[in-house]
Amino acid sequence: MTVSNTIAAIAADVRPPAVRKRVSRRARSAAWFHGLMIPLSLLWITPLAFILFVAFRSFDDISANGLGAFPTSFSLDGFITVFTQGGVGQSLVNSVIVTVSTVLTSLLLASLAAFALSRYRIPFRRGILLLMLAGNLLPPQILLIPVSRICEALGIYDTLFALIVVQVAFGLGFYTFVLHGFMRAIPGEVFEAAVVDGAGDLRIYARIIMPLCRPALAALGALATTWVFNDLIWAMTVLRTETKFPITAALLNLQGGFVSQWNVVAAGAVIAAIPTAIVFFAFQKHFVSGLMVGSSK
Amino acid sequence: MNDRITLSRRGFLAGTTVIGGAALLSACVGTGGAAGGGGASGALTLQSSLSDPAPKAALASVVKSYKGKVTLNTVAIEQFRAQLSTYLTSSAPPDVLTWYAGSVANDYASKDLLLDVSDLWKSGGACANFPPALKALSTAASGKQIFVPTNYYWWGIFHKKSAFAEWGITQPKTWDEFLAVCDKLKSKGISPLTMGTGSTPWVASGWFDYLDLRVNGATFHRELLAGKHSFDSTEVRNVMKHYAEILPFIDPNAPSYSWQEAVTPLVQNKSAMYLIGAFVTQSVPTEQVDDIDFFSVPTIDSSIPSAEEAPTDGYFASAKTGNKKGTLDLLAYLAAPKTQQDFIATSKSSNLPTSPDVNTSGFSPLVQKGVKLLAETKEITQFFNRDSSDALQTTADTALTKFMAQPGDVSSILKDWQTAAEKVWKA
Amino acid sequence: MTQTALLAARSQRAPGAKRPKGRSRLARVPRIIWVFLLLPLAAELALVFWPALNSFSLSMTTWNGVGPAVNVGFKNYQDLLTDPIYQTALINNVIWVVGFGGASVIIGLALAVALNRPRRGIGIYRSVIYLPMVLSLAVTGIFWRVLYQPDGTLNLRLEAIGLGFLKHQWLADPNTALYAVLIAAVWRQVGYIMVLYLAGLKGVDPALEEAASVDGATAWQRFWRIVMPQLSGVNSIVFAVTVIDSLRTFDIVWAMTRGGPYNSTQLLSTYMFQESFTVLNLGYGSAIAVTIFLLAIVFIITYLVRATREES
Repeated sequence: MTVSNTIAAIAADVRPPAVRKRVSRRARSAAWFHGLMIPLSLLWITPLAFILFVAFRSFDDISANGLGAFPTSFSLDGFITVFTQGGVGQSLVNSVIVTVSTVLTSLLLASLAAFALSRYRIPFRRGILLLMLAGNLLPPQILLIPVSRICEALGIYDTLFALIVVQVAFGLGFYTFVLHGFMRAIPGEVFEAAVVDGAGDLRIYARIIMPLCRPALAALGALATTWVFNDLIWAMTVLRTETKFPITAALLNLQGGFVSQWNVVAAGAVIAAIPTAIVFFAFQKHFVSGLMVGSSK
Repeated sequence: MNDRITLSRRGFLAGTTVIGGAALLSACVGTGGAAGGGGASGALTLQSSLSDPAPKAALASVVKSYKGKVTLNTVAIEQFRAQLSTYLTSSAPPDVLTWYAGSVANDYASKDLLLDVSDLWKSGGACANFPPALKALSTAASGKQIFVPTNYYWWGIFHKKSAFAEWGITQPKTWDEFLAVCDKLKSKGISPLTMGTGSTPWVASGWFDYLDLRVNGATFHRELLAGKHSFDSTEVRNVMKHYAEILPFIDPNAPSYSWQEAVTPLVQNKSAMYLIGAFVTQSVPTEQVDDIDFFSVPTIDSSIPSAEEAPTDGYFASAKTGNKKGTLDLLAYLAAPKTQQDFIATSKSSNLPTSPDVNTSGFSPLVQKGVKLLAETKEITQFFNRDSSDALQTTADTALTKFMAQPGDVSSILKDWQTAAEKVWKA
Repeated sequence: MTQTALLAARSQRAPGAKRPKGRSRLARVPRIIWVFLLLPLAAELALVFWPALNSFSLSMTTWNGVGPAVNVGFKNYQDLLTDPIYQTALINNVIWVVGFGGASVIIGLALAVALNRPRRGIGIYRSVIYLPMVLSLAVTGIFWRVLYQPDGTLNLRLEAIGLGFLKHQWLADPNTALYAVLIAAVWRQVGYIMVLYLAGLKGVDPALEEAASVDGATAWQRFWRIVMPQLSGVNSIVFAVTVIDSLRTFDIVWAMTRGGPYNSTQLLSTYMFQESFTVLNLGYGSAIAVTIFLLAIVFIITYLVRATREES
């Protein structure tokens, strides 16, 4: 940075007189900005809007006027059918069970591994960390057939337990990697002080490190919830009983059964989208920071 | 001191890995399924692929009336098909499964995955008085029966009686008459033929099968599907020539519809005719079912003996079931005349019962007509995929949907079809 | 917050600088710590790496799911080379990587730059763009099918504004199907890329930009000469993630078209699924899966190398 630029930068910050010019420029750029962003945002949510339309229309309205027409009826038939005949209620429960268990277990295990790798001189620790991360990057296709056979052999095929176990194993690498980075950033003094105080390793982990990791855990938790809830391929691989399907697989079943009844399929899709949307709006901040923690390198 | 500890830790790790690896090796993929069932006697599992609302409800009610405890699992047909081999090779398989007779069943039978149900076919058994053709269909190469057929249906060109009357159309008897009817309908702005080849591309094989039956006869058709003739032969080219004749009359939106969605234009009088199975009535609004009529695909060559497609659906059971007696009992119940009757009534389908003890005189005139059609025809085939295999069906789906979009490329399409088919037969 | 500040400080440390004292690891590794590590590691080895190795061995066999697998050496791979559907899938995948990857990165980056500076309503815009990411791909597929049906939103709106001649059977026409699905996938992915770049832009020094603008550089020049070089770290991560994700795409294509019409939307992953589970040609399907892995491995290694460099 040249001297003149530095002085100019400092001067620019302290500015007075050119305020009016800058303000009107800012107003113009704001107009441009909103002028572009508002239509773009509206366009962006068009798919969501139309699916809501279709979900709340009656079947006859759709057959008569076409799928893309604006609604001329209001009906809850789609939703009623979805709950009474689509088994959606049960599948939502399954999804919640699987998601909560998976997220809690993965974060617990990942934090244990991250703690071990970040604070102790474990041989090949860097290699192990990268190996774990690599596991998360594999194309799942390569795992489908063997995993279903392994579950079969372990006797856990067609259980929610299998789905949880498989998803925990698959996601571990990424969470371990992120938590590892976070834990490395905690100053060594905190750690040393605890050791000097005579705290055992478990205590250090539970009482000192984990609370400090809360932001990272919240962020990863938010991300993980979305990923696990929205999974389809693992559910299709390890489950076969209808009543055990999570909502994504149940939705596929619904599509197969109610092929031409778009209001039912749309209602199902809306219901499947609501839980993650709620999590998103509640933890918005954490989603963004989660990705940032994992990638701000 | 540290190094020694670390080394011994490494040794410990290495040991665990080996042991763990050995344990997992036994779970190694590709060494054949785990042996023996372990299912406790208790509720039986019926894994069903009947995911359309009406048949699903019908099966559920039939199962509820059964004296034993049965868990009904319904999975969309595509997923069912994808997981079928996993079901059958699992160590705790479903006891009874819905499926159809044909190559798939025989394939699994030859791998000893299907329960021998010959007892049901012996005198006194539930299937004892079924027609011999059905028994032949349910018998595996080993000579044992492995399938219990419970309903079958015919294929035909379905239409609405009132619509035909309104447009002044009568059912055509010959191919030329049929094309003339299509012309007349098209000039009135009505789409003569509806089809759904989007997410259900196998519908396109319906026309292929029938044209092959009408042009070349049932024997050629069976041999073609068994790999004894080439798809690139003059006979098949002849079939495609006739197929090309009806392409201009097919609803242009057909590639976007499933077979169920294609019923809508028919019901709304926007389309006139639909070559499909009798199960189509499931998707017709109840108040219009009585208005539905059909006619057989018209004769093209009067020297070829008549033939119809009559796919047969039913159940088979897993050889590894933990409760053989219960399973056979359930199968006998499902094959019983009363059960068949209840199922057909509740599922709103126009399917036909396999048991001759079911009183069909109470069935609708449409169904009576179907019974008569099948009784009077000389030859009966199943359907493309049931007579050959799902793998060959995939090749047909690709070839026929491409042909429907680009009929001019028929030579290269048939060549590619033959190449793909050869790969299937060689496998 | 201490942690973010520390992270920021850490990432600004010049490479090669000595690690400050007090960050050393304990040399003595207590048994419980081994358990901490081995439990997750074993889970991952058993359920991820072991199956992956299994797939490799399975790809050398012919197997239909029943009975023992028959070893055929490299025959599956030889067959892949002459398989027209595989070739179509490969080409489609390249189109997908370029189209899906390119579009989501360009649009994501543009939106990140646009939505970087705090303004009124920026939170809402960011949320709207990111929202599709929380929907499952199957749900996204259904949403867009409603738009693409012959009597769906797109065709009816085109007709309403007088562009009725543009009506298409978007998902059934082999010329448009792949791009139709691609647009749906990009719509969803853009939010993710945008957030990654927003994070990266936080690390860009605004003073440099200000100085350049005072010097008379245009916005375009400022972007390419000042901002982009500072994003090199994020760029390589985004690039690697995008390519890896493009090769793994399955759900959305399967939900919308199943690989049809006649293989025009067939990707390597859908073809693998079809061969393995519809046709039950498990050895062949595994071979396809292995090729997906091999194509991805270059990018996986790039990502890991990049991640390592930041770690040390």
